[in-house]
Amino acid sequence: MANPLFRISLTINGQPVQADVPATLRLLDFLRYDLDLTGAKDVCGEGECGACTIFMDGKTVNSCLILAVEADGSELMTIEDLSHGKMLNEMQQAFVDYHSVQCGYCIPGMVLSGEQIIKDHGKPDRDTIREDLSGNICRCTGYQKIVDAIEFAADKR
Amino acid sequence: MKYFRPNSIDEYHELLVTLKETSMSILAGGTDLMPRWEPDKGLMPDVLIDIKKIDGLMGIRENEDEIIIGALTTIQDIKKSILMQNEFGSLSEAARQFAGVQIRHRATIGGNICNASPAGDILPGLYVHQANIQLIGPNGSRSIPISKFIIGPGKTMLEPGEIVSEIHLLRKGVKSLFYKLGLRQSMAIAVVNFAIAYQQDSNGAFTSLNIAAGSVAPTIVYLESFVDAIMSGVSLDEAIQHVDIDISPIDDIRATADYRSTALKNVLEYNFRHELHQGNE
Ligand SMILES: Cc1cc2nc3c(=O)[nH]c(=O)nc-3n(C[C@H](O)[C@H](O)[C@H](O)COP(=O)(O)OP(=O)(O)OC[C@H]3O[C@@H](n4cnc5c(N)ncnc54)[C@H](O)[C@@H]3O)c2cc1C
Ligand code: FES
Ligand code: FES
Repeated sequence: MANPLFRISLTINGQPVQADVPATLRLLDFLRYDLDLTGAKDVCGEGECGACTIFMDGKTVNSCLILAVEADGSELMTIEDLSHGKMLNEMQQAFVDYHSVQCGYCIPGMVLSGEQIIKDHGKPDRDTIREDLSGNICRCTGYQKIVDAIEFAADKR
Repeated sequence: MKYFRPNSIDEYHELLVTLKETSMSILAGGTDLMPRWEPDKGLMPDVLIDIKKIDGLMGIRENEDEIIIGALTTIQDIKKSILMQNEFGSLSEAARQFAGVQIRHRATIGGNICNASPAGDILPGLYVHQANIQLIGPNGSRSIPISKFIIGPGKTMLEPGEIVSEIHLLRKGVKSLFYKLGLRQSMAIAVVNFAIAYQQDSNGAFTSLNIAAGSVAPTIVYLESFVDAIMSGVSLDEAIQHVDIDISPIDDIRATADYRSTALKNVLEYNFRHELHQGNE
């Protein structure tokens, strides 16, 4: 049986996007394979690790647990929107300066969760940063330097 | 797979009449459903009805007697609600200890209820505050107490075509707390969890007490024997032995039945001593 297509219209990183997608397509795959926005990573596929984090209507979500059709009418922001070309924003720069990155797989999600933490808490203490990073797993760094970077970026804003 | 996103209850019911497919699913936040499906292998229902745009099912409102939570209200909105923090501490705390931020932004209270997991973190608080679940179906609406609505793991009284629309909580000035024991501090499914609703007089004696525990039976259970023992005035050490009468835990990947029973008694005792100031601290 043919898998019917559905027309979706949404805004991604400020640009209007229209596409015809099957209802079985995950939003993460739509971003990575149809739009070549590969900043969001596909790791666990089950909402556990946060590597696929994006902003949807101003809130961080796991794009592996959302269907592309559900995003119809919404506004998305991915990690690609934070830096304009090679100009990193201050959160991204802080991750560089604090050596917060090893393999890098978790980092797009970490940076976006960092942005959400600043949005929610302004200048949070380290416990708050740790608590609100619990949806992002890093297998390399031990988190310390990631927390350092977010704390610094929050202080600077 | 077909996908529909009705904008109102009426539109939803009109849609139901036209559908012939047998396997269909209601989709809210999708945080329980999506990990279960394998879209790339076609392991999904034939029809998906996304209820997230249905009007009027989101948000927390209040009147003099009640707090009313729309079924589509997210766990993060419950966590952030000052009203919930002030009046329904156990629910507020359960939301705080629920998954991580990204999941909380999507997961809904209606989904937690309808998923009917024995470990659902929002449920013990709803049990001890005796929440009423409002359902809307093709033949009108009805209201059922949470403890009657959930009948087994993943099983509820929901009839075909019905959806949960609201959760009603009476404002009786009862305090409550929530406790969760997981295998790690966050992003963990409960090994045991419970909520305690209580009122105390100025000497610290209970004038009312209600406890519901999760992950220790096929559904959330009220710890009635334990509460009766406490209210009859026996010592905490003695009363705690009654807990085993109320629960029927099983072995699974997270813990054995024995572990669950012992852990529940230990964390209950801890909370009675240190949070509720009973027995010796
Ligand atoms: C990484 C991860 C961590 C998690 N952590 C926790 C945790 O700490 N504590 C916890 O309790 N749960 C946890 N969960 C489970 C899940 O997030 C919750 O059960 C959540 O509340 C489900 O809500 P939802 O809106 O996503 O439900 P969905 O997945 O959309 O739906 C769940 C079920 O309910 C039905 N349904 C939903 N809304 C309605 C309605 N209004 N009327 C009728 N039927 C409806 C659906 O058809 C489906 O059967 C976690 C899940 C993941 C993936
Ligand atoms: S890939 Fe989405 S949370 Fe892990
Ligand atoms: S840097 Fe490797 S997973 Fe975080």
